[in-house]
Amino acid sequence: MNKKYGTIRENAFPYLMLAPSFILFSCFVLVPFLIGIYVSFFNWNGLGAMRFINIKNYLFTFRDAVFWTALKNTFVYALVVTAAKNIIGLFLAMLVARKFVGRTLFRVSMFMPVTFSYVVIGVLWSWIYNPDFGLLNNFLSAIGGQSLIHGWLSDSSIALFSVTAVDIWKWSGFHMILYLAGVQGIPKDFYEAASIDGANKIQQFFKITVPQLNAVIVINILLSLTGAFTSNYDIVNVMTGGGPYHSTEVALTYIVTQGFKLNAFGKACAMSMILFVLVLLFGILQVKKMSHDENYEN
Amino acid sequence: MKTLYKILMKILGYFLLACALVVSIYPVLWMILGSLKDTNAFYNNIWGLPGVFHWGNYVYSWNKAAIGQKYINTVMITAGFLALLLPTVSAAAYAIARLNFKGKKKIYMFFLSGIMVPSGILAIPSFIVANQLHLTNTRIGMMLFYTAQATAFGIFLMRSFFISLPKSLEEAAMIDGCSRFGSFLRIILPLSVPGIMTQVVYSGLVVWNEYMIASLFVRSTELQTLALGLKVFIGQYSTDYPSLFAAMVLVTIPMLILYICAQKTFIAGMTAGAVKG
Repeated sequence: MNKKYGTIRENAFPYLMLAPSFILFSCFVLVPFLIGIYVSFFNWNGLGAMRFINIKNYLFTFRDAVFWTALKNTFVYALVVTAAKNIIGLFLAMLVARKFVGRTLFRVSMFMPVTFSYVVIGVLWSWIYNPDFGLLNNFLSAIGGQSLIHGWLSDSSIALFSVTAVDIWKWSGFHMILYLAGVQGIPKDFYEAASIDGANKIQQFFKITVPQLNAVIVINILLSLTGAFTSNYDIVNVMTGGGPYHSTEVALTYIVTQGFKLNAFGKACAMSMILFVLVLLFGILQVKKMSHDENYEN
Repeated sequence: MKTLYKILMKILGYFLLACALVVSIYPVLWMILGSLKDTNAFYNNIWGLPGVFHWGNYVYSWNKAAIGQKYINTVMITAGFLALLLPTVSAAAYAIARLNFKGKKKIYMFFLSGIMVPSGILAIPSFIVANQLHLTNTRIGMMLFYTAQATAFGIFLMRSFFISLPKSLEEAAMIDGCSRFGSFLRIILPLSVPGIMTQVVYSGLVVWNEYMIASLFVRSTELQTLALGLKVFIGQYSTDYPSLFAAMVLVTIPMLILYICAQKTFIAGMTAGAVKG
């Protein structure tokens, strides 16, 4: 319905409504992004003159072994966190799908860590992991698991996994709630029919629950993946600073080190852009998911 | 046999739930208990209640870490951020949801593309831009960058809320002589309080807890937010653990109480983005 005779005021109205967001978004997201690309082609310490060095920052980055380690850790972190959050979240959702005494308390408690900042839970868990006074090692020795005692954050072979556990702890309750809504939406007769046909619980889970939850699973996986690429900075920075021996170094912590400790802003920008390209696929999938049902009906 | 198996499975289920509950709550309880111990009890009485409750730890930490100042900063930044975000994204989302204009789909996709750029990737470029504009080490600078980064999701969220409202309401208002903008202000916004609350919880919590941008932007102690200030305090007082735990409790408890009081709003707000997608 194209109105032909709208006044100028009427025609301008939508653009006026959009303008503040458009300006803010352009100035403080789009422009920084473009400047990031621009700076990535320069040698620049953040203060002095900029020297154009073509794609050398990218070449330096590709030859930087630590960056590869950091990238590998970034993806290991994202995959571990995504798998664990979703498995735990779905499992808990199945357990709490039935009504029982204290269910609200359970939901509220499981969701609680979502409200905490990563700094708080990072410090808290550094203490839980403390080799001497920490809860974890004391608990293990109390139940006779001495052989399992580790320097959770100082042993470079497991430090990365210790760090991911904190992220998993924070978000599992969140995913549980998302899955719970999905699980409760599956009609009961599906399960009744299946059990009459002789399907056991495991078969029912894979033949009914998983297919029925398909859309919910996709959303949960995308959310945890894209979240993991950003949240890893806070946790790693607070808990290990990337150590020991870069074993928990993720791309973002290394980028900040390049920029702020080594004053290599050009290289830091080049690394940011490489990371952007690598995670772009997940971003595109998420935007697709968010706009798929879009009905521009008016 | 069958019933015994069922009972056993039920017990196992409850046992696993109880374990999950302990794992999620106990660390927080432990933090609170630890904050009330003296140094000796902290190391030697790890699991138990403190023999004597050292409430003085809180007073000490509150003053030492200047937590009051950090609350003021965090409240100001979060409030300023919301004051910028809510009107701008509501207006933009309304235009995209309800009005006809050229390039509508393109503009919406332009905003949505912001979701593809994780905030961490923008951290260093944002710092460079902010530094050139003398916006680093200012509260307004942080508000502007936070707002811009929350715009994409905010427009998405508000738009899907506006679309769910019946059109007849505005049409009736406009027949009664209300202008487009008037009906947006007087009819649509009051009806959108649940959507706005979602936005407040979701984006507000992100900014309240934000650490990365804050740690890059803020240089002076007086401007530190709670998350950043706590990290700095830890670095400086890394041996005085009860005080450190007291600081953590002081930083966490008000938000925790708010969450417990308004848990329905919090859970709905935090999960809305996912459910809408």
